[in-house]
Amino acid sequence: MPALRVIKRDEPWRGGALAIVLGALAFSLGAGILMLAAQGKSPVQGAVVLWQGTFGNVFALEDALRKSVPIFLCSLGVAVAFRMQVWNIGAEGQFALGAIGATWAALTFPGLPKIVLLPVMFLAALLAGGLWALIPAWLKLKLKVSEIITTLMLNYIAILLLDYLVFGVWKDPTSFGFPMTPEFSPAAILGPIGGTRLHWGFAVCLVAGVGLWAFFRFTLLGYELKAGGEGARVARYAGLPYGFLVGFVMTVSGALAGLAGCVETSAVLGRLQPSLMAGYGYTAIVVAWLARLEPLPIALASFLLAVLRVGVENLQLEMQIPAAYGMIMEGLILLSVLAGQFFQTFRLGRREG
Amino acid sequence: MDWGILVALLAAAVQSGTPVLFATLGEMLSEKGGVLNLGVEGMMSVAALAAFLTAYFTGSPWLGFLAGGLAGACLASLHGVICVGFLGNQVVSGLALTILGLGLTHFFGTPYIGLAAPGFSKFAVPGLADLPVLGGILFRQDALVYVSYVLPVAFWFFLQRTRPGLAVRAVGEMPAAVAAAGLHPLRLRLFAAVAGGFLVGLGGAYLSLAYTHLWTNGLSAGRGWIAVALVIFAFWRPGRAVAGAYLFGGVMAFQLRLQATGTNLPSSLLLMLPYALTVLVLALSAWRGRGADAPAALGVNIEPEG
Amino acid sequence: MDQLPARPPRLALPDAEPVVALRGLTKRFGKVLANDQITLEIRPGRIKALLGENGAGKSTLMGMLAGRLVPDAGRMEVHGREVRFASAREAIAAGIGMVYQHFMLVEAMTVAENVLLGQEPGFFLSPRDMERRVAELAAQYRLDIDPRARVGDLSMGEKQLVEILKLLARDSRVLIFDEPTAVLTPAETFRLFEALWSMTAQGKAVVFISHKLEEVLAIADEIAVLRSGKVEAELRPEEIGSKADLARIMIGKDVLLEVDRTAAEVREQVLDIRNLNGLGLTDINLDLQRGEVLAVVGVAGNGQKALVEAVCGLTQPPKDTIFILGKPWREYYADPDWKHTLSYIPEDRLGLATMRNKNLVDNMLLTTRKGFRSGPLLQKARAVADTRELVRKYDIKPGRVRVLAWQLSGGNLQKAVLARELYREPRLIVAEQPTQGLDVAATEEVWRRLLDARDMAGILLVTGDLNEALQLADRVAVMYRGRVVAQFPVTDRDQVDKIGLYMAGVTDF
Repeated sequence: MPALRVIKRDEPWRGGALAIVLGALAFSLGAGILMLAAQGKSPVQGAVVLWQGTFGNVFALEDALRKSVPIFLCSLGVAVAFRMQVWNIGAEGQFALGAIGATWAALTFPGLPKIVLLPVMFLAALLAGGLWALIPAWLKLKLKVSEIITTLMLNYIAILLLDYLVFGVWKDPTSFGFPMTPEFSPAAILGPIGGTRLHWGFAVCLVAGVGLWAFFRFTLLGYELKAGGEGARVARYAGLPYGFLVGFVMTVSGALAGLAGCVETSAVLGRLQPSLMAGYGYTAIVVAWLARLEPLPIALASFLLAVLRVGVENLQLEMQIPAAYGMIMEGLILLSVLAGQFFQTFRLGRREG
Repeated sequence: MDWGILVALLAAAVQSGTPVLFATLGEMLSEKGGVLNLGVEGMMSVAALAAFLTAYFTGSPWLGFLAGGLAGACLASLHGVICVGFLGNQVVSGLALTILGLGLTHFFGTPYIGLAAPGFSKFAVPGLADLPVLGGILFRQDALVYVSYVLPVAFWFFLQRTRPGLAVRAVGEMPAAVAAAGLHPLRLRLFAAVAGGFLVGLGGAYLSLAYTHLWTNGLSAGRGWIAVALVIFAFWRPGRAVAGAYLFGGVMAFQLRLQATGTNLPSSLLLMLPYALTVLVLALSAWRGRGADAPAALGVNIEPEG
Repeated sequence: MDQLPARPPRLALPDAEPVVALRGLTKRFGKVLANDQITLEIRPGRIKALLGENGAGKSTLMGMLAGRLVPDAGRMEVHGREVRFASAREAIAAGIGMVYQHFMLVEAMTVAENVLLGQEPGFFLSPRDMERRVAELAAQYRLDIDPRARVGDLSMGEKQLVEILKLLARDSRVLIFDEPTAVLTPAETFRLFEALWSMTAQGKAVVFISHKLEEVLAIADEIAVLRSGKVEAELRPEEIGSKADLARIMIGKDVLLEVDRTAAEVREQVLDIRNLNGLGLTDINLDLQRGEVLAVVGVAGNGQKALVEAVCGLTQPPKDTIFILGKPWREYYADPDWKHTLSYIPEDRLGLATMRNKNLVDNMLLTTRKGFRSGPLLQKARAVADTRELVRKYDIKPGRVRVLAWQLSGGNLQKAVLARELYREPRLIVAEQPTQGLDVAATEEVWRRLLDARDMAGILLVTGDLNEALQLADRVAVMYRGRVVAQFPVTDRDQVDKIGLYMAGVTDF
């Protein structure tokens, strides 16, 4: 039997990362489109509609660019934490807290001029997201409680907190019972760039992305974070302040997700309402892993997954496909990338003799 | 407090604790074999749908129960292949499984929202049901709850008193020793993951067949994550898992009762209770027990040689 | 050091058919040819010693025999029939069992569970029944062990007994021991040898893998010397004139493994341990001056690890017990300087001293990063230049700075760690098993570098290799069960002769 066996590569597979991601995307798209048949829809028509609703349409691409902003910011945060092997899966909740923080500022100081109010909102969002993420960090460091579970539980709590606010104390009295805050004053709105449909959130992304890249590349603290990812023992060997680093990455991670929440609330919705929570925090995890935690690939992957979301919305509209179709695709993509990354370090060879 | 109300509340605690108990034991089995599966939430939810659809179309709740288990096992085998076979990161793969599972449930389940399937109803166990207090709490339940009474004992017996159980424990502690003993570490891990997934699936099936008889999306509502937390709380021991599951069942039942009796507290704050309690319980158990007893090779993949 | 036991008179064995025959076995790992056309025969009732340096290919060869590795070419025969093992299971079924250097035991389970793991079919098991069977087996071979004990609570010697019991329970006909004495006291070594002789007397074939010449000469019936993946020679002990002859065959040139040692000037105190109790240690009192080497020896698992981890800041000792460079532990570790301080060269080179998936520059920065900071920034260009210089000076192969840590061989990785730590010009060096797993050339270089470093530092050398301790140290401290049972200068020959007894905890004579 010409059995195949697994052989460890002597050198990592150069260019493998890209090949794996492309392969995973192709596989997941193919499998996902075939799945439409299970719902009695035509896969061919599905593929056409998906194309028309994404790359076949400038308007859709603009929409995808807008959606990629919160995904990108959350994913940067996720990547910062994952790099240090801190499994922050609470981007969704930190995103909600950021939105809550920003909304608090917008509702409390509606009279402030834009140049003051927007920074106050940003600050409130950064703080709210960062401090929310500090809770699991503290529990991890002081009590060795797994951050995986606490960050997740805090997601549920954060979303319920948001519900509580928009159904209760912050509810717009003129909303006919709909759960939402009053519309923000114009001073609290992050406006469009020039005459485009793109808003200034892009500038925030650019600053955050470049800033983080430079931080990891050029600073001592950035190096220490990368080294800290090798675990607590290595950190202690090297005299790294492990506890501080964990707290720091969680705070930065939460603050970035909070920033996303602020941008999304201010620039896209103009008020706080439950529809804000569209699962960007979970998509961000898919993106971060797809991009191997590097900022530039995160930007590309954010865009790709945002395109997917827009395409799925179009499918929903044109072919009545449930919105959950997007989650299936994201799950498939992540699973196939995980399987594919095996070939980064191993290859198959023929068994001799 | 009135005894009747207390008994009713505790009976409700047992009922809402049962799906969590199935799922906790399932995750525990997987982790005993060294496979951390964070996909419980997604598996439960898919299993709930599979159970519902099977019962709906065949008319047999027991077939539905079985289908739930099989659905859980299917998703778990996906996780198993990716982690055991392809050395994928167990944390991330479990998350992906949850995303996929929730997506599948909503995708295929949406057309059936509001429909009813034949499920399990409560019945009194002759003799036992008339026991004072305990009878009312434990023995006026549905058939699946009675199954769940046997399960922790069977679980313990399997791990401690059978050869496959011994091997599963060993592969979660030190896969190299298992290989040196001439057993197959990869197969054992896959077995633990899939069998654990089956139990998780049974928990999901309980949600749509006994907890409610109507289909609605989002039945799992975080129970899968609570199960993952309970495994840690239980120090990987089935006895403590029972205590933990009923504690959470109690909180959920209490919270529902509060809502039903109409309180001034907003429902969103009440709904936070189980999640906040999870964090609190984990913190307390970590503080008391230092979270020892985790299988030594939990979450660590087995690299191929040669 | 104690004399090893003399071999009892051997039974005259007819030239029995070999149980196992290896014909032209070859195995490659990437570019490395680990085994090249190995041909060997293993006969019942004999102890075959496989002698070779680290990296000569002994473990690879036995890995193939035990079914863990698949040969690239060549064949194996058991009782004259060709076999191909796809897994350890098949090797075990063929009667070949192996005691690994790193025990393959489940610490959280009992002795009985470990011994009977994967044994015979059947579904149910009864702990009482298992314990009874293991107790009987142990009694039959006069091995002293409690079947109900948790393996994690056992000493290294006892764990080895569990490994042997595993093979006996499986009726293995060929028993392979990979460096079995590395973790044993001299007395335990003696007991192991007796056990091996009694097993061969019952017709078992034993393969004894080692690089210790004395042991091989004491125990083997046949010696096969492995060098660079090839069988260099096959001999009988009586054909060998002296240890030096054997060493020459093993290494391929004259090596005496001795270094010139001139005394260095002893200066100020750099380490002071006073009444250290806790962390599994009892009443530890040690001190070390700049310019001297203090060797801490003992059988693995007698508290050396706890001592090293406390001194090196991995675990926190009780208050006012450890003083480093004159400062109390807490004060020193509050913010240690990167230069002129403590350097730790750990046993775990790939998991602790270096980051396996990072290149040499990043790994160099791990402990020296504070020397490359300017404000919040890191001077990467200077770090690259300095790393390049170190790679050249220490001849770290393959000579590139972008190579990842896991891609280096053991010797080159250790040189890289040493280069980095000496770059810090430490005042105190803690070196833990610094030459474990290295070949002779690398060992010599590490020794030379450490001796040179005495000019700037005091060296705490923690080693299980007595020869290394005696070659390098000015003073020796022997640890047993968390205590320092003896401490003396190497010039005290009387005491040095008793090290073996001290290692076994015997202190009253």
